[in-house]
Amino acid sequence: MDDIQEILEDFLVEAFELIEQIDQDLVELENNPEDLELLNRIFRVAHTVKGSSSFLNFDVLTKLTHHMEDVLNKARKGELKLEPQVMDVVLESIDMMKELLVAIRDSGNDTDIGMDISDICSRLDAISQGEEAVAQEVSEPVKEEPVKEEAKEPKEEKEEEEIDYSNLSDDEVEAEIERLLKERKEEDKKRKAAKKSQNKNQTQEVVQEKKPEPSTPKPSQPKVEKPKPVVAKPKNKAPVKKQAASVVEQTIRVEVKRLDHLMNLIGELVLGKNRLLKIYDDVEERYEGEKFLEELNQVVSSVSLVTTDLQIAVMKTRMLPVAKVFNKFPRMIRDLSRELGKSIELKITGEDTELDKSIVEEIGDPLVHIIRNSCDHGIEDGETRLLKGKMEMGTIELKAYHEGNNIVIEIVDDGKGLDPDMLKSKSLEKGIITEREADTMSDKEAYNLIFKPGFSTAAQVTSVSGRGVGMDVVKTNIEKLNGIIDVDSEIDKGTIIKLKIPLTLAIIQALLVGVQEEFYAVPLASVLETVRIPLDEIYTIEGRNVLRLRDEVLSLVRLSDIFGVNKVYENNEHAYVVVIGLAESKLGVIVDTLVGQEEIVIKSMGDYLKGIEGIAGATIRGDGRVTLIVDVAALMDLAKNVSVDITADTQTANKVKESSSDYFVLIVDDSKMDRNIMKKAMSPMGITIIEATNGQEALNIIKSGEYNFDAVLIDIEMPRMDGYTLASEIRKYSKYKHLPLIAVTSRTSKSDRLRGVESGMSEYITKPYSPEYLESVVRKNIKLLAE
Amino acid sequence: MNDQLNKVLHKQQKQINEPERVVDDVIQLVGFIIGNEEYAIPILSIQEIIKPIDYTRVPEVPDYVLGVFNLRGDVIPLIDLRKKFKLESVKYSDDTRYIVLKGKDNTAGFVIDRLTEAIRIKKDRIDPPPETIHSESGMIYGVGKRENSMLTILKVEVLLKRDF
Repeated sequence: MDDIQEILEDFLVEAFELIEQIDQDLVELENNPEDLELLNRIFRVAHTVKGSSSFLNFDVLTKLTHHMEDVLNKARKGELKLEPQVMDVVLESIDMMKELLVAIRDSGNDTDIGMDISDICSRLDAISQGEEAVAQEVSEPVKEEPVKEEAKEPKEEKEEEEIDYSNLSDDEVEAEIERLLKERKEEDKKRKAAKKSQNKNQTQEVVQEKKPEPSTPKPSQPKVEKPKPVVAKPKNKAPVKKQAASVVEQTIRVEVKRLDHLMNLIGELVLGKNRLLKIYDDVEERYEGEKFLEELNQVVSSVSLVTTDLQIAVMKTRMLPVAKVFNKFPRMIRDLSRELGKSIELKITGEDTELDKSIVEEIGDPLVHIIRNSCDHGIEDGETRLLKGKMEMGTIELKAYHEGNNIVIEIVDDGKGLDPDMLKSKSLEKGIITEREADTMSDKEAYNLIFKPGFSTAAQVTSVSGRGVGMDVVKTNIEKLNGIIDVDSEIDKGTIIKLKIPLTLAIIQALLVGVQEEFYAVPLASVLETVRIPLDEIYTIEGRNVLRLRDEVLSLVRLSDIFGVNKVYENNEHAYVVVIGLAESKLGVIVDTLVGQEEIVIKSMGDYLKGIEGIAGATIRGDGRVTLIVDVAALMDLAKNVSVDITADTQTANKVKESSSDYFVLIVDDSKMDRNIMKKAMSPMGITIIEATNGQEALNIIKSGEYNFDAVLIDIEMPRMDGYTLASEIRKYSKYKHLPLIAVTSRTSKSDRLRGVESGMSEYITKPYSPEYLESVVRKNIKLLAE
Repeated sequence: MNDQLNKVLHKQQKQINEPERVVDDVIQLVGFIIGNEEYAIPILSIQEIIKPIDYTRVPEVPDYVLGVFNLRGDVIPLIDLRKKFKLESVKYSDDTRYIVLKGKDNTAGFVIDRLTEAIRIKKDRIDPPPETIHSESGMIYGVGKRENSMLTILKVEVLLKRDF
């Protein structure tokens, strides 16, 4: 079972690799129909797929590829001219082949999807027969006994033996399997050897092709095309442009799962490194000037250096050239230009630019939509272009390049450009924006309207675009990658769409911000800037808080309002605003503190907490605590629903106290006897008394917000946290600014009293005291009158 | 041909790894207290039991989800069983523990008041849960009868399932 599965997997991997290249080759072939090398390559793809699929009993696929092979074989021998009409049929059949392969990958067979290939087969036949009468006799036997003619010896045997399988006993079948596997391995070995020599001897590539093609002994092509990967190229992981005299590039195929695992391990290591750095900082402070610090420093820095290098190295192994995505566009442009009746040229640059595999997989769809849009709406038809004094042929440029920690993909067309006024009126029509919004909208903002769901400028829905979903998909996908979209346009000059995407997803740079007592990490890729502003610069427009930042009006929202953070500290006169940008929108987020920039590893919070709005994941900080990572896209959505006026003073209405037991007093004293004395003294008042044995415990009780205390009686000398510290800690919280703190102590000196006042005590009772005195002081402070 | 192949290969595979299973009619549980009741969880689904450590609050979740904590590099949700059972929450004592349960695709920590003991109980001493209050959420696997007490055995999969 596993062995068959393995063979099947091998087949699929190989087949998908082959068809990846084939599209581009085919389009190129149309321009250079004479290029034999190209033709050979394409022929071999059909041939290889056919051979393997017949071995694996995929009849539908075998039949289809067989017919394709016929046509291509003719073309290769020069018996058939590849007219565009012929190419259309060939391309269509290749699409079907792809579909079948996908079906096989998903369901394990090619019959489930019930694809009808008879039509395409007969069309392929028509081409191979109808066009060429001379070749009739050659192709006829081929069709009747395809296997004998085309397939190689081992396959031939297999086909024959297949019939016998049903008659064999189990043991015999097993023996047969073993034999077949051995054969398969032999084949593999041969192929590998062939590949190697092929790389060494690029020029003789055709002669040494792994599967000899007796029917067409091709001498090496003298015509030197621009260097291209050969058909049986090693896995594209490390893309190396092979030069004529290239060195042997050794590659091995590695499961993505293993790379992912490796990446996870590196993530752990980065966390460990962060932790080590933090500890080093602490140690440095404590043992300043000690000799061992120097050594520790060396170790820490070398560990951190190696970790960073390792991280980069592993990241590189996951990198793929963006060509993997770009390769499918020449074909797409070709189809589109035929369909739309426009002539469009596609220029690709920077296809060697590498980025993380997971990102490569995600950017395909957005790019398809953008390019389709450019073809359909951007580029005008030939006549219009000529009238405007442009070249008849429209151009779309696809560029990829690195910029810092990001990769930028630019899609530039020289079409009619975006008209901001038209965009606005269309959006008004569709009810996407209001009239007022339209009036205040800048050109740049107007361009971004194209990303709104439901927006479409197309007068009619074509098969290409106009449904108003495409660009919305672009936005969501790019947001998912934490990318930024930038649109620029000039009427009649063209449009530039820039996608800025972080290089990798697993380990990111983040800005750590503090909100009250909590910390959050904001992906740095989304942070545009941070500013500190006085609160009175915040204006309110239509119930929304905004800030004028240079020439822009920025919506503001407090992070604590979005995440419902307990408010414990006093508001400052100033606020820190983190300006975040994602795709095409911006938002100002108010936080209490900026902690700094840190490299963080994104960890999932598991299925249980997956998909919490506003949270993208969690990370572990140097101190071992978990910090949540803000999901910038969701944050922007959440911000729309927050309507808390930042400038308004937050006054919490006190609950009305009905009976004296609604009053809460906290006693903090390490001596049980002292606590009992105080309790006794206050018992006549009938109030609720809570006890704590030291400052730390008291602070925790207060912080927990379980009780709403009306007064706290504090002993000064206590373990873990003394009374002074406790008082000053309590005073840090805004809502306890006026909470009566009564020191109950035997320390009577003036300096003690002074320290008490400094730390925020409101009363000072010296031991010993009479119960009545204590009671009256407490009564006075909690404003409970004697009955 | 494929079918036949599979059959044969399958048969081989089977012969290689067919461990003889002994029918086990005793299950082992770990008992713990929440509020005034004793509950139990099959010992095999417990990854570990730890003393309370700091956790980080997570916004937008029900109140019984306290937040997440760091368990040797894994971020794990923390659930307060008192709050989940609609009991009043109390301050952590020295006996408070986090029980970390591991399910098929989920791991979570649960706050309990205190541990009692490891329990071996025969399967036939476990009754299905009474069709009353708790059955709505299906959290209870059964009620174990012991000499002088009852034991509520919880369903781990249900505890670990997100229900918000």
